[in-house]
Amino acid sequence: MVEVKFERVKKMYDDGTVAVSNLNLTVNDGEFLVLLGPSGCGKSTSLRMLAGLEDVTDGRITIDGNVVNDLSPGARGVGMVFQSYALYPHMTIAENLSFGLRMEKGENRLSKDEIDLRVKETAELLGLTEQLGKKPKELSGGQRQRVALGRAGIRRPKVLLMDEPLSNLDAELRNQMRVEIRRLHDKFGTTTVYVTHDQIEAMILADRIAIMEGGELQQHGPPLEVYNNPANEFVKGFLCKHIDEIVDTANRIFDER
Amino acid sequence: MSEDLAKRHYVPAELGTLRTWLVAAIFVNLAIVPLEWLRVGDLAMLSVLDAAILGILLMMLPDEGAGGKRDFAIIVAGVAMISALLRLATSELAVFDYWARAWLILPAGMAIWWLSSPHVSSWIRGDMTTEGAERGLARNRTLKPRLSAAGVHIVLLHAVAVVLIPVIWILDVALSPGNALGGEVFDQFTGEHFLKILGGESFWIWLRNSVIVSLGTTILGLSLAIPAGYAFSRFKFRGREPAMFSFLLVQMFPGIIILVPYFLVMKSLGLLNSWLGLVLAYSVTALPLCVWMLKGFFDTVPKELEEAALLDGCTQPQVFRKVILPLSLPAVAVTALFSFLAAWNEFLLALTFNTSNEMYTLPVGLASMISATGQAWGDFAAASLLVSLPVVLLFILFQRFLVEGLSAGGVKG
Repeated sequence: MVEVKFERVKKMYDDGTVAVSNLNLTVNDGEFLVLLGPSGCGKSTSLRMLAGLEDVTDGRITIDGNVVNDLSPGARGVGMVFQSYALYPHMTIAENLSFGLRMEKGENRLSKDEIDLRVKETAELLGLTEQLGKKPKELSGGQRQRVALGRAGIRRPKVLLMDEPLSNLDAELRNQMRVEIRRLHDKFGTTTVYVTHDQIEAMILADRIAIMEGGELQQHGPPLEVYNNPANEFVKGFLCKHIDEIVDTANRIFDER
Repeated sequence: MSEDLAKRHYVPAELGTLRTWLVAAIFVNLAIVPLEWLRVGDLAMLSVLDAAILGILLMMLPDEGAGGKRDFAIIVAGVAMISALLRLATSELAVFDYWARAWLILPAGMAIWWLSSPHVSSWIRGDMTTEGAERGLARNRTLKPRLSAAGVHIVLLHAVAVVLIPVIWILDVALSPGNALGGEVFDQFTGEHFLKILGGESFWIWLRNSVIVSLGTTILGLSLAIPAGYAFSRFKFRGREPAMFSFLLVQMFPGIIILVPYFLVMKSLGLLNSWLGLVLAYSVTALPLCVWMLKGFFDTVPKELEEAALLDGCTQPQVFRKVILPLSLPAVAVTALFSFLAAWNEFLLALTFNTSNEMYTLPVGLASMISATGQAWGDFAAASLLVSLPVVLLFILFQRFLVEGLSAGGVKG
């Protein structure tokens, strides 16, 4: 039962800018939550605070009941997929995947054979078996993305974090990967927090959407609920109007044919 | 349509090349004049004449439709060739003569060859057909890169020659018996100078000192510069900008300014005539540049890589050891090489700090071989070559890293 809670979370920088103010949000166990919003709304900052890559100025973040404000990123049991993949260029794919497992200390540490097995399984799951001996620069964008996904998930994290992972892919790949990501989530049931600025992506992937703007949470709930009952003008404009325009344009194209 | 275009835009590549070559040849022939004057006195003025002939040839290069000019140009080129051949025949036939006259014979010869070739002739006469023009454009496409490659190679060959000729000369002096400076190149071979240097004690003492000091500088300098570069790159702290600026600032001062202060400091610390003194001095002077280079490199390592490593469970030191350091090997190699060489070649400080032969480094030892009476050129040349050898070897070994390291951060991974 891994629940993530943001309680009164605030992020303020040294120069006084407030990136996130008074965020109260609960991610339920096994839920796929999408943080949606325009650039600069605070969604990435919130994700990074959850990951431990940014300090929390005020408030609490809890994972699985534990307050993690002061825990190092490696100790929080989270896995993260970066927008730029951030694969280790000097290691092979197999080494990239196994790196986190090899860094594990203490009782959770797996034996070498277990690590190899895990790597093999993950590679098979993501269609990367041929690529295991190669270096990241030899792979295509889509393949690198899958390696990033594998690396994040291979340690069976409590929470999976994704920061706009599909932005660098072309439309066709994006569609494929969306299906993949959702499939993996349904298979493993990991609590997932996914950040994007793409309204369609959010509507398709999310169990629940949380819309942010200007550092403040505007509304959250299941996608269709939010769409049908926008809580304020911003949600109406950013989500509903945008989706309506897309649907209208699509209809017009098909009508004119 | 296309016939106009082809004929309108076709200019034989040979003409452009000839123009460039003739301009270069004029400059070279003029530049030869002082050298010629040293060899043959007033006859050097003939080179001025040659340059003038080439100038006329340049002006006579025909444009489209100037048939008469072309004939005249060929005659001028012919005159140039005859003059060059005559001069060659009456000269010493040394390498220099061949080279100097080649700068007249070759341009003139190619001018005659090209100007009289059928397609250039028809272009000059103006009776070129469309097919001819199109064929000409196609010929240009393969010809131009080859011609410019030839031109580049000629320039490069000259540059290489300028660099290699002194080295070959020194090699010759080192291998020739006796201690004279002149003489025929590679007429006699002897190993006596090398044996004398390598057989003596001093050289090995100097070598030992240089190795210790250079290695010490590299190790000490790098172990300070790498963490410093990383800190300047990743962390924000008070005094960061002033420190970076002062690193640049101290590079402005000529090295000799620190000579006396350093001497006084080392004297009061009792570090004269010691390895430690030099190592400390060299490390400190090399640090600013090393830190700058390494900081610049660390700036290009994406922060996300470190964040990913943190999320994978690394501690900060582990992030540095397992992710940053392996990636920075090329940059570290370049910085290490630079530190090593700076220490190896350094002369002034080593000369000032050390007064006993026991502590001389190689440059200082080499300088001590310069005597006021009767310089032993053969020994000196051999010693110079031996001192340079490690540097050359290091460059060869580190070639791969150097190219990578110097362009580190150019392409995003």
